[in-house]
This record gives sequence, C-alpha cells and structure tokens, in this order.
Amino acid sequence: MQTKRMTFRSHWLPYALIAPQLAVTLIFFIWPAAQAIRQSFLREDPFGLSSRFVGLANYTRLLDNPEYLESFRVTVVFSTATAALSMGLALLLALAVDRIIRANQFYTTLVIWPYAVAPAVAGVLWWFMFNPTIGIFTYILEVVGYDWNDRLNSADAMTLVVVAASWKQISYNFLFFVAGLQSIPMSLREAAAIDGAGPVKRFFTVVFPLLSPTTFFLLVVNITYTMFDTFGIVDATTAGGPNRATNILVYKVYQDGFIGLNLGSSAAQSVILMLIVMALTFVQFRWIERRVQY
Amino acid sequence: MAQITLSGVKKIYPGGVEAVKGVDLEIAEGEFVVFVGPSGCGKSTLLRMIAGLETVSQGEIRIGDRVVNNVEPADRDIAMVFQNYALYPHMSVRQNLSYGLKNRKMPKEEITRRIDDTARILQITDYLDRKPRALSGGQRQRVAMGRAIVRDPAAFLFDEPLSNLDAKLRLHMRGEIKHLHRRLATTSVYVTHDQLEAMTLADKLVVLNGGRIEQVGKPLDLYRRPASVFVAGFLGAPAMNLLDAHVDGGALHVGDVQILQGVAAQGPVIAGLRPEDVHARVQPGGAFRLEFVEELGGMRLLHGSVEGQRLIIQSPLQAEVGPEMALQIAPEALHLFNVADGMRITNAVRQAPEAADATG
Amino acid sequence: MVENRPFLTFLAHLVMVLGVLFVAFPVWIAFVASTHEPGTFLSGVVPMLPGKAGWETYRQILFSGVSASGAPPIWLMMKNSLIMALSITVGKITISILSAFAIVYFRFPFRVAAFWLIFITLMLPVEVRIVPTFKVVADLGMLNSYAGLSIPLIASATATFLFRQFFLTIPDELAEAARIDGASPMKFFRDMVLPLSRTNIAALFVILFIYGWNQYVWPMLITTDPDHYTLVMGIKRMVAVADSDPQWNYVMASVVLAMLPPVLVVVGMQRLFVKGLVEQEK
Repeated sequence: MQTKRMTFRSHWLPYALIAPQLAVTLIFFIWPAAQAIRQSFLREDPFGLSSRFVGLANYTRLLDNPEYLESFRVTVVFSTATAALSMGLALLLALAVDRIIRANQFYTTLVIWPYAVAPAVAGVLWWFMFNPTIGIFTYILEVVGYDWNDRLNSADAMTLVVVAASWKQISYNFLFFVAGLQSIPMSLREAAAIDGAGPVKRFFTVVFPLLSPTTFFLLVVNITYTMFDTFGIVDATTAGGPNRATNILVYKVYQDGFIGLNLGSSAAQSVILMLIVMALTFVQFRWIERRVQY
Repeated sequence: MAQITLSGVKKIYPGGVEAVKGVDLEIAEGEFVVFVGPSGCGKSTLLRMIAGLETVSQGEIRIGDRVVNNVEPADRDIAMVFQNYALYPHMSVRQNLSYGLKNRKMPKEEITRRIDDTARILQITDYLDRKPRALSGGQRQRVAMGRAIVRDPAAFLFDEPLSNLDAKLRLHMRGEIKHLHRRLATTSVYVTHDQLEAMTLADKLVVLNGGRIEQVGKPLDLYRRPASVFVAGFLGAPAMNLLDAHVDGGALHVGDVQILQGVAAQGPVIAGLRPEDVHARVQPGGAFRLEFVEELGGMRLLHGSVEGQRLIIQSPLQAEVGPEMALQIAPEALHLFNVADGMRITNAVRQAPEAADATG
Repeated sequence: MVENRPFLTFLAHLVMVLGVLFVAFPVWIAFVASTHEPGTFLSGVVPMLPGKAGWETYRQILFSGVSASGAPPIWLMMKNSLIMALSITVGKITISILSAFAIVYFRFPFRVAAFWLIFITLMLPVEVRIVPTFKVVADLGMLNSYAGLSIPLIASATATFLFRQFFLTIPDELAEAARIDGASPMKFFRDMVLPLSRTNIAALFVILFIYGWNQYVWPMLITTDPDHYTLVMGIKRMVAVADSDPQWNYVMASVVLAMLPPVLVVVGMQRLFVKGLVEQEK
C-alpha cells in the first residue's frame, strides 16, 4: 500500500498516532461485530440465564421465517422506489440548473439544504403533512377523492416513507449530478449540436451515457442510504407499520433486539446486514479505484 | 565546504531490485559534479542517498571526515534544491527561507542578516513577503535556491532543478547557477538527464547507466574520448552516429563500403562518428544516400544512410548537397568500440588530443 | 448552454422553482404550524399562513419545556446536541488525521493490518451492530453520559480515507525539504500538514457536524435521563405522547429549531460543504 517515497523513522510514534483510532475501532466496532457473529450461533433460554450453541439454526430459522422474508421484500421495494424517485428528481433539477447561467448558485443553495435535516426530523415533517386528520396533503387528496390513511393502509405508509426519504436525499444526488454534468466537456455537447442533435436527443445520446459513472455511483450510495440511514425516517413516521408494511431490515434488527429481545435472531440479522454492507462497500470501492486509475 | 566520498555504495530495494550497483566516487571540495544519465539510471537515488532521504544498502558515504550513513538529513550539513521546488505553499518566501534556520535555533538577527544577504544575491528582495503561488516559475526557482544558499551548507544537492522551466529560462538559470557556484565555491552535486546542461555546468561529469558509473571526467574529455558506446551515444546533439562495421586487414568497412584504412583492430566493431566529423561531397555513386536536409540556420544536417545504416552529417551552408555523396573521415575522428561489451578500443587509430579542433 | 432557446431556459427556471417549492414546502408548513395556537389543530386542516402565537410557543419550549411530554426545555436539548455534535466532529477529525498521518508518512509493522482494521468500520454502520454495541457501552458504564453519546461514533474510516487521499497528493518533496530543514515528524505535522489540510478539515467539519447533530437512534438508546436528551430524539418523545394527539405547535417549533443549526451551517458554508461532500467519494 502506498506511502511517501521518504518516510519518517520512529519505532513508537506511528503506533502512538494510530492508537486512539484503533482503540475506538476495536472496542466499539470490531468487538461488537464479533459479538454479533458469536451471538448469531447461540440461542438464549427464555430467561436469559444461559445460552447454547445452535450452529446455523438462527439463520435457517430466519430464512424460513415469512416475516423476515417480507422485511426483505419491503426493503427492496423501499430502496428501489426511493432511489428512483430521488435520483430522477435530482437529475431533472441538475439538468435545469445546468442550463441556467445566472442565479444557478442561488437555486443550488435553495435546493441543497435538506441534506442538513435529520432523517427523523424529515420523517416528522412528512408525517405531519400526511396526518390523517389534519395533514394538508391528506386534505388535498380527499378533495380529489382519495382517502389517505398511512396508519391503516400499507401502500399509503410505504408512499409516505419513500417520499420522506427521497425528499431528504435529493440534495445529495443533485450535487453529484451537477458535478457530473460539469465534468462533461462543453465541446462534446457543442459537437453533438453541430451534428444536428436537439436538446432531448443530445441528452439521451451524449449527456446521459457520459453521466453513467455518476449514476451508477449514486445508485450504490442511495441503496446504502435507504438500507441503513433511514432508520430515523421509519421510526418517526410509521414505526414499521401498519402490519409490518414498512418494516425494513435495519428497523427489524432493532425491534427484535431491543423490543422483542430475541438476541440470537437479531444477531443473525446483524450479520446478514453486515454482509450486505460489505458487498455494497466493495462495489463502491471498486468504482472509486477505477476512477482513481482513470 | 567539504569533500564527499562514496565507496561501494549500493541501493537494493525491498524485493531485490538494485537501483545503484556499487558506486565509488570522490567529490573534491568546491567541485561542481554533475550526475547525468537516462531515467532509471540511479542518478537521483544516488543523490538522495547523499542527502539522507534514502538509506544506503551497502557501502559508505562520507561528507568531510564523517561517515553519514546513519546521520539524519538535517544533520548532514547539506541543502537540496528539488525539481518541483518543494516550497512550503502556505509560507511566505521569507518564512520559507527561515524555516530551516529556525529549526536549528539560530539567533534571530543572524537569520535576518542571512535572508537579506541571500535575497540580495538572488534578487528576490522585492517579494520576500509573497507566497510561492504568487511567483513565476523562475522566481520560485530562485527561492528554492535561496533556501539552500541561506543555510550556508557544506554541499548543495540539486535534483533536476531546471527541468520545470521553459527552454529560455532554463538557459538563463543555468548561467546563474554557474555564476553562483563561482561566487560561493560550495561543493555541489547536480543531477540532470539533459546532457547539454550537464556538459555546460560540470567541473566533473559522471555518466551513469543502469546503476553503474559508465565514465567520470571533465566534460570535454568525455565528449572527445567516450569510454563506451553508451557515453558516446549519450553526449552530444545530434548524437554520435554508431555504425555496425568490421575491420579487415586494417581497413574499416561498413557493409561493402570501405570507410578508412590503417585501423589497428580486427573483426566486427562499432564505429562511432560525430556528425561534425563526417565530411561529404557530391559524387554520383557515392556511399551516402541523402534522404532529407534539416536546415538549422547556421548549418544544415544531412540525414541519410550508408549501406542501409542511418547516418547524420553536419554540413556547412556553403557545401554542395546531392542525392549521392562520398564520405571523407579523418582517422583521428573515428571512435571504435567492441561489439561484445561496447567498450572503447583504445589506440585503434592515431589520435591527438587536439585532433578534433584541428580538423573541426 | 449550447444554443439559445428561450423556451428551454424558461422551462429550466420553472423546474427549479418547482423543485425549490417541493423542497421548502414541508418546512414552511412546519413553521406555520409552530406559530398557531394549539386549538387551531382541532379543527380540520392546518393553515397556510403564520399565526400569532409564535413568540409564546418558542419562548415556552425553549425555556420551560412541555410538561405533558416530560421533555426538558429545548435549550437544554440543544446544548446536548451541540456537545454531542462537536465532540463527534472534533474527535473524528483528530483521530482520523493522526492515524492517516501515521499510515502515509511511516512504514511500520502491521501498518497494512491497521489500515484494514480501520477500513472495516466503513462496513459496520452503527445501525447494523446496534445491539452488541449498546451492550459494550452499557458494560462500560457509559449510558447517560456525553462520552457514551459521542465516543462510540468517532471512529471513522471515511475521514481517515479522505485525509489519506489528501496526504498522498502533498508532494513528496515537501516532506523531504522539511526533513532536510531539520523538522521532526511531529514538527512537520504541525508546520506543514495541519496548515495545508485547513480546507479539508473545515469541509469535514461541516459534514461531520451535520452527522453528529442528526444522530437519532444512538442517543435514543444511550439516554434514559432527560438531562442528556438530544433535540432530534427529543422530538420523537414529544410526538409519542401516550394516547393523545401531539401538541403540534410545540412539536413543529422543536422541528424548526432542530433544523436550524445544521441548515445554517450548510447554507453559510456552502462551498466547503459541497467540497466535503463531493471529495469524500474521491
């Protein structure tokens, strides 16, 4: 791995420099993760007094459990919908701001600040607007003849979390799309225009293909975001309901561990989630490496 | 000021790559020594070992009377000028110059005095309070040299200091470095891949190739009597013509063409001819086939071939040029090298030190 | 812009205006709600224009708290959020820049192993290993403390990575020149690395402050004592009042106050924020 051509010489200094980070990592990251792995092979008796080794039983039980599989499905739907919605809107806004010469800084400022809003707070905001009794959107929907109730209707609940999660993620995607668009040389677009391609055709034949690395990167980041960083949104809006319709994987880990107190199962879920993050990180890292080489 | 002695110096990288394969060299006090060679020849590594930025795998480096193999760079009493200047970007010129002195706990008045002196020598007094990014390339170059001069070290080490400048500025700075050395007379080691820079600056020229010294000596001596095919081809522009030839009964042939007689060698050889030493006159059926002419203003270069081997001839403007020409070569202008190891065959032809000047 | 088509430019502005409206609308509604009397919310739809009870509402939640939900005054929660956010930010930057310096500027046994150990934390977000991490913190007696709120979150592979990438772009010759100038490793760190990293540190500061301020699940688990509540999690407690509708004006006022600091940071330091965000992924 890369270092400088010349490195400093000391027998103790580098260890002292790296020690704080290693200590925190070992105590609060590696050790708990190891515990989760260990725990996932054990089962506690109902009183939490003893535990015994059960092999892969926690995993097989999980994978046989329709509730868990349902949570998987819910997560996939939630991730896909959120990624599609927030990336689509962000791309639209990025294309618009890219056309605007004056005032684009102004628009950018007005669009990016939701990044700073906590997921839980974003959840509360949308929860309020879709509140079945006083929410403004509920009212509007009622006028058009739709009876909204996210506390009873699964589809409504899913829509609520997707909208809240997308709203918060637009700013991030927007910034990356803008950066991606700016890195496309103007000469390419001009060349396409001289070749007779109109704005729409130019977008699909020149801009969008050249944007594909950014799009791919954002896709991975958005999946990671929806899978792990949306805990607050779910907890503040639907709490996984109704009837587990928005019970995404991270939320279920938390519920089974702290509320259901099913440690073995929660640990096995943790391990599966870790494997998913690892896969996503790996994909993301490969992408970064490729870009660095280029 | 001090002399620098390298004995049996080797650099072996982890993994077994030998970058420097045993170098012995004496650098006298006040001498200006230039390491020259193609990239990867080990010249920079050697310099960095003298600086203490690379460890010495084997052998010994002395600065003055002291073995410095395990001495920190800061304690070797050397100063270095880097290729990209390595000015501290967040410090003003003055801070850049004083940093090393402050670290050595030099008294304030002394630091001020030295900075003022150095700034005057290098004519950078006016921008002492600017940041490096507000300086032009040439000015940065001066500051980089100032940082070395202000230290008043036993030796200056230059690592390709001019290669980031444009051609005109490079020429100018080359002159300034020469001038400074005359004035300060500090032992200097200078690394470059530019043979012209090397020739013009060096008191002593060290040609390196593949981690070994090919030849050491005064620049003109190396130019006139290159010890190997490598040195012959490296020094001089346009480069020396190197032809596959053979000697039969004292006559040097290239292919079927006889070039010269009275050569004291036998069998296949490499014949070296500097473009300025080859004379050609128009003659139908002559051995030299002209391909094109390159006009350089004061003279012209004739590009062509002899028996299918490329040959470049430097020709005065008044000389006639034709598609086929006969060659004329003075015996003392010929360099002969072994085919096997590329080393010079000495005393193969009659040679006088001033031969080149006489026939010039 | 390639060609001048007024219609397209108009369309671009239209899209941007709609986008800004979409982004701002929920916040406007929240702000409006926070300025009305509690009684307003009993009768149908939320109004669209601010009411008159704003001052009173904000004064009350900031300094007295809302008795019904048992939440402490907001300023106390804001103070806790601030302490937590700053501890996480300063902690992360400090330990990351030091370890990145060690990894880039030294060669030592187990260097690569140490790097990978840190890198792995990228793959272990707190949400994933929440149960065992909680147990460790509980065993260490760090529940209901600022240490428990911040220390477990300060290991960061991302920040270490960012600094490492940045250090690799600092020319080698700079360290060499400094070494010839007699600078020890730590002197080089102080005189060169720190000043050169200034913008990177500032950019990271913005991103990490937001990250710290917005923590939700972790403070929810670690604090049971209202004195250590942070604002973002405190809102949830207010919302979840047993068996009755939340006091919307108070909740929304808290929401506005919870958004204010990080949003101000983003808007005020937009350039650094964008740099921090976009560079993180390089």
